Amino acid sequence: MKTVSDVLMSTDGSDRDVLMTAVHAALGHTRTQPAPPPPVVDDSIARLAHANEDLAELFIRRAEEVGMVVERTSWQQVVAKIVGVLGEHKVERISVALTDQWNIATQVLEQADVAMVVGTGGNGVSDLDCYYDADAGITDVQAALAETGTLICTSSAIHSRAPSMLPPLHVALLRRSDIMPDMIDYWAMQKGKRSMDLPSSITFITGPSKTSDIEGILVTGVHGPMHVHILLVEDA
Amino acid sequence: MSTNAHATESSQTVALTVDGHDILFPALPYDIHARARSSTGDPQLQQFVNSATLLKDTGRKKVCGEVFGSNYEAMRRLGGDIKQHTLDHLDFYLDQFVERATDAGAQVHFATDGNRANEICLKIARDNNCKLCVKSKSMVTEEILLVPQLESLGIETVETDLGEFIIQLDHDAPSHIVQPMIHKDRRAVGRAFERELGTEYCEDATSLARVARKHLREKFRQADLGISGGNFLIAESGSVVICTNEGNGRLCTSAPRVHVAFVGIEKLIPNLEHLSVLLKLLARSSTAQPLTCYTHIITGPRRSDEPDGPEQVHIVLVDNGRSEILKPETREMLRCIRCGACLNSCPVYRKIGGHAYGSVYSGPIGALITPMFKGLANYPDLPHASSLCGACYEACPVNIDIPKYLVKLRVELVKRRITKLSDRVFFKVWAATLRYPVTYRLVGFLQKLIFRLKARTQSQLDSGDPYVSRGWISDMSGPVRGWTDERDMPTPTARSFRDWWRNEHENSE
Repeated sequence: MKTVSDVLMSTDGSDRDVLMTAVHAALGHTRTQPAPPPPVVDDSIARLAHANEDLAELFIRRAEEVGMVVERTSWQQVVAKIVGVLGEHKVERISVALTDQWNIATQVLEQADVAMVVGTGGNGVSDLDCYYDADAGITDVQAALAETGTLICTSSAIHSRAPSMLPPLHVALLRRSDIMPDMIDYWAMQKGKRSMDLPSSITFITGPSKTSDIEGILVTGVHGPMHVHILLVEDA
Repeated sequence: MSTNAHATESSQTVALTVDGHDILFPALPYDIHARARSSTGDPQLQQFVNSATLLKDTGRKKVCGEVFGSNYEAMRRLGGDIKQHTLDHLDFYLDQFVERATDAGAQVHFATDGNRANEICLKIARDNNCKLCVKSKSMVTEEILLVPQLESLGIETVETDLGEFIIQLDHDAPSHIVQPMIHKDRRAVGRAFERELGTEYCEDATSLARVARKHLREKFRQADLGISGGNFLIAESGSVVICTNEGNGRLCTSAPRVHVAFVGIEKLIPNLEHLSVLLKLLARSSTAQPLTCYTHIITGPRRSDEPDGPEQVHIVLVDNGRSEILKPETREMLRCIRCGACLNSCPVYRKIGGHAYGSVYSGPIGALITPMFKGLANYPDLPHASSLCGACYEACPVNIDIPKYLVKLRVELVKRRITKLSDRVFFKVWAATLRYPVTYRLVGFLQKLIFRLKARTQSQLDSGDPYVSRGWISDMSGPVRGWTDERDMPTPTARSFRDWWRNEHENSE
């Protein structure tokens, strides 16, 4: 079958040249000009939450408004709380993405009647397929935003994207000190990082998966989790 | 056997997808009237579109008022300034984006038009031997007719946004930028699922969504190609930002081994700090949410030590007419972040619905950019599909003065004589009449006489209080028919304002 892509030139500089020439023409330039500094993001206009507020309280309020469940707990209690949530949702299989400092996966597996899904893929590549079978994903989060009640999950060697994305239940562990007031603060933290040093995936999660495509009726859990259960852990 | 089943399924899908296309790609030049008439006469469509848009518009006003307060105007200006600055220096930011995205391992492609964009995608799909594609919502891919192209290569392509999925099953076309199936009811969904997926008919929205989840999960599991659009491109970090509520955007860009994002060149913004401002405006303007449930910021493919994510990320930067709009006279139109707020606020959109615009982009912003993309002579009615009330301008989170540009397009229509002969004659006569007091008075007198006679024959004229019950005319013929077909015309009062004024003036002296 011969198609247009058989005779296709590689996507080389020529398309780029044609497009850039058109852009230059529209801008009245003959070649690329350096840009002056972009508009300043004025804090007094754009900032919607401040560090002097009770961030945990604000976060809980906003997260609940968008349909997530927030439960406050302590380091000592966190395993018991997880076991409780898993029991409540009749979870049989879990997937996990946690940094070492949490160090709780083993205890959860011992205390709750659940199994961990295991990938069958070899060569150091975990098999994403197994994650589709999990009933719950347990993850920590990098940060949270009080202003919008948002969890921030980033990808890394130990943070598979799947546990917060595929199972019907997402149990998110959040340390109180990781709550930031506003999105502006999160990007300030990333400032100056080179693109290759950013995670390949940063996800702001603001509620369970939702749609109102059918007659405007709100339905949760279309493609992602139906339930997001946040355990807000007081710092030890 | 499975090959057969697959072949049948995809050939069907081709037929389905093409069906809907004349809705968005009608014969040109496009005449709005037939579809506008049919949608204003469809009570169900009227009710759906009206209630859905009103709900969103009210929600936007409430939420933006509460959250931004007296800073709302300043915030819209800041959003507009950020986009305008990027457009003013688009060459610089395009180069920066390519450099940074490439550093992170993404492959950036340039597409001058829709055909080139499709060719790039087909080549990627063939090079990687892709068989099954999952796709999230993207206006650009609608614009360039990507799906039938992929399917002609034998790549089954599944829309995964629930609304788009239903529309694909139901041979239909999207009618709203944000809520594609705003014009359909749940019974239509139940019927489509029963017919196409073989599930039992039901009308419950949650059960219907579960059916779709189950069906689409298998597709995600098997897909080897993921296609998405992009809400923003970040020049400084080389990132693509995708906002979805259902989470399909995350799945489409994480599960398959190859991800291709189609993004218009106007989606660039300088840096992640600016993203804060635009994200704060986008979801609130669109659906009155603080943020969409998922805001996914993708910077390159999965790193070598990451357990999942795509092995390849391709970003196709699409021009397809945008560099033409980038000219200083029309540049502001490219600020649009596709939130849909102007559609929800527009009294005309609410009456005629998205399909009446005969284009991928509907509503006030569609009335502007469609003639720019496709030629003014091909869409001469669209600049007139507005009452110029300015609600769209007030709703726009990036402060685009839509009414101003609609008027500019109308001026252009007249200058280039893309107007009907009857219109030209009418306005010539109109201008001549208004020029002299004598002709003005004469025509005013005749008009009053005719209208009152007409009203009298309809026995509507009341001799009582002339300001309360002066009657209505509902079936004029000739050039005024266009008015009375859609609504009644009030009968002119016996005495004109000029007569009344003269009288008052003389009496007081």
